[in-house]
Amino acid sequence: MTSTGRARGFIAIALLPALLLFLFFVIVPIFWSAYYGFFDWKGIGSAKFIGFGNYAEVIHDPVFWRSFKNNMLIVAASVFGQVPIALVLALLLLRNAWIHKFIRTSVFMPMVLSSVVVGIIWGYIYHPEIGILNFLLDRLGLASWKRQWLSDPSVSMYSLMVPIIWNYIGPYLILFLAALQNIPSEMDDAAKIDGAQGSRKLFSITLPLIWDTIKVAVVLCISGSLKAFDLIYIMTGGGPAHSTELLASYMYNNTFSIYRFGYGSAVSTTIILISLVLIAGSQYLMKRDNR
Amino acid sequence: MQLRHWRNGLTNGLMTVYALVTLYPLFWLFISSVKSNEEFYSRPFRFPTTWHWDSFSRAWKISDMGTGMFNSVIVTAVSLVLTLVVGALAAYVLSRFQFRLKWLVMGVFLLGMLIPIHSTLVPLFIVMNKIHLLNTYGALIFPYAAFELPIAIFILQAYMNTFPKEIEEAAFIDGMGYWGIFAKMMLPLSAPALSTVGILAVLRFWNDFSFALVFISKPALKTLPLSLSMFATGYMTDYQLTMAALAIAVIPTIVVYLIFQKSIMQGMVAGAVKG
Repeated sequence: MTSTGRARGFIAIALLPALLLFLFFVIVPIFWSAYYGFFDWKGIGSAKFIGFGNYAEVIHDPVFWRSFKNNMLIVAASVFGQVPIALVLALLLLRNAWIHKFIRTSVFMPMVLSSVVVGIIWGYIYHPEIGILNFLLDRLGLASWKRQWLSDPSVSMYSLMVPIIWNYIGPYLILFLAALQNIPSEMDDAAKIDGAQGSRKLFSITLPLIWDTIKVAVVLCISGSLKAFDLIYIMTGGGPAHSTELLASYMYNNTFSIYRFGYGSAVSTTIILISLVLIAGSQYLMKRDNR
Repeated sequence: MQLRHWRNGLTNGLMTVYALVTLYPLFWLFISSVKSNEEFYSRPFRFPTTWHWDSFSRAWKISDMGTGMFNSVIVTAVSLVLTLVVGALAAYVLSRFQFRLKWLVMGVFLLGMLIPIHSTLVPLFIVMNKIHLLNTYGALIFPYAAFELPIAIFILQAYMNTFPKEIEEAAFIDGMGYWGIFAKMMLPLSAPALSTVGILAVLRFWNDFSFALVFISKPALKTLPLSLSMFATGYMTDYQLTMAALAIAVIPTIVVYLIFQKSIMQGMVAGAVKG
């Protein structure tokens, strides 16, 4: 056998396991469910072809759009909560003193915890009778601020944002720190000579230099918001009255609670399309800005 | 100069307060796990009057955590080996060989990183139902490895790209085949990248909740997060016991985090940015 023949054989055999695993468990199911989305199917028994019926129902279901809106609320919470907090922390934590390392370690810590644990802890913090939040408000003389944090539909979505921000701030902090450390020290010296200090330096030198990283962070907020299923499932299950439903929990509840597999498949396909559009759109905006 | 000193002290102070607030939910978790149920809500911010250390052993027994731990260890370990071996092989090929459909292979893995994991729960459930994989270890192992592959391959490939070509040429002249080069040179040389990929994968597999929730319903096969969530629902009012169970579950990940902090931070950021 020639050496190129040998190389070809090796390439095929070495790539095959990864490709098979990935195609079979990630790519194929997606197409399969796009197909099942055209059927009325309870998971068992025969499936009835109903054309675009499920997809039309998805688009016309107000609960679906409410879930979408809640996903967007989480994006907003990340963009206007996580990004600024992480940026301020990063600007203040640049030095390698032990205290800065300690703060970095603490802020990143929630990232490695199981969302089940995070969800249950925050569920207890928000608990109307035994939770420490209402206890604290009582002690501070703010009893009128007490709420049913997770079961009052008018505040539940906002209550959920706090643990989400708390949980996922770490990577943004590290991202910004890396960007800030990449700013060459000559910039600092030049700024000093030109007399740019404090907020002047921040807005006319530092922020423009890491602007690209900030844009990356915003894109991350969009893709990250689609991952918040676990926390919400543990804390509210999408309730009360769908007030905290996310796209993923909407899909889960429709499929596994009321056994509408055909409909769930259509929802799944719709979510994938929406997220691809969102990601492509945000990438496009970033690229266009860069020119 | 004096003023600057004060300002630094003040920001450090404020930051420390911020860090402590961040850590407080965890601290509260550990304190509450050794506190009586009555004190849990009557003195939530105080240390317990008597420290109930026995709550850990009770929680371990009552929540049947041994089973959950055992399943989590098996599933995590097998998925890890699968991810590393299959991922490293693919990374070696993509880093060292030129072939016609390379762009397609890379594109497929890149596309996979853009798909939100949770949206595949229903499709995967349907497929696994068809091939009778639900309620087996395989129902978790294969999807875990499959979803971890893109990031594993990209980290490993980027690392292997930095090796000089000459080392392989020398080995090739010595009569070593591709498999030999992969096993005896690429794998050992990639150890740092393999460990980053490995730690990230372990955390992801160990903490996963949604796949276990959907694909596993047999009590004997429940992983730790799943059995914790069931336990917490059933024992919601026994705060001490629930908190103790959570504390036991959290300790291993915190220890791993404190040891491998640097690679975890960098790896998670790299994974997020590429995804």
